[in-house]
Amino acid sequence: MSTQNQNQNGYMLLFRGTDLRKGVSPEELQKVTDNWMAWFNHLTEEGKAVAGNPLEREGKIVSGKDRIVSDGPFAESKEAIGGYFLLDVSTIEEAVAIAKECPGLPYGIRVEVRPVAGECPIAADIRKEAQFAQV
Amino acid sequence: MKNMSTQKQNGYMLLFRSDEWYEELSHDEIQKVIGQNNAWIERLVAQGKAKPGHPLQRNGATISGKNGRIVSDGPFAEAKEVIGGFLLLDVETIAEAVAIAQSSPTLAYGTSIEVRPVTEECPLDVRARELAREEQLASA
Repeated sequence: MSTQNQNQNGYMLLFRGTDLRKGVSPEELQKVTDNWMAWFNHLTEEGKAVAGNPLEREGKIVSGKDRIVSDGPFAESKEAIGGYFLLDVSTIEEAVAIAKECPGLPYGIRVEVRPVAGECPIAADIRKEAQFAQV
Repeated sequence: MKNMSTQKQNGYMLLFRSDEWYEELSHDEIQKVIGQNNAWIERLVAQGKAKPGHPLQRNGATISGKNGRIVSDGPFAEAKEVIGGFLLLDVETIAEAVAIAQSSPTLAYGTSIEVRPVTEECPLDVRARELAREEQLASA
């Protein structure tokens, strides 16, 4: 955890879990979503969030050489991605601190924090390898 | 497929999942796939069908537990399910979004692509309203 973790491309928060814990009342559920929206608006005003959206639960999966299309569900509902934020912050510590404020956490939502890459990390790796090979 | 009920004004998100498919490919093959993939994205952007995409680094952290007490290293999913990148599509139907996903050059190398409608209104909000209505009906 040092300045080595600086990343100019920002971070993505992926919200995992599309169902809150059972037994949450409609009022409480409404409160969570209101808090979530207020949290996002606040981050946007501070210039820390540059994009964010919920995703609908339906969808499709395309996979394999034969490009087969199948319907969801995609992952178990506790792992399914329910939405995302794109953060314009420069360290993972800051991104993690923001993730910890997620109003869904007490209800079983998990937040995955991922550094956004400027170029494909695989491309970067093979370029580095090629440089070493030339030396 | 193109009817009003499947039209979405907010576009679609493609989530690319894969394991380390490139481990078994030669340097030249990897370079070729990356070149094809970049060209594919550039073409979609030029056509106005996609916003520039972002790859994600494979490291990161996952926060869970009440008040975010648990911080663990790395993405949450198993290697083959890790999300390696995403693309936001500005198209109106899921059929169009699926057709674009099917044209991805990475599919032949074992990626799978999740196609999800982006929404303005949180599905949890919708659920909260449904629950409130059910309670009202039950008490009526």
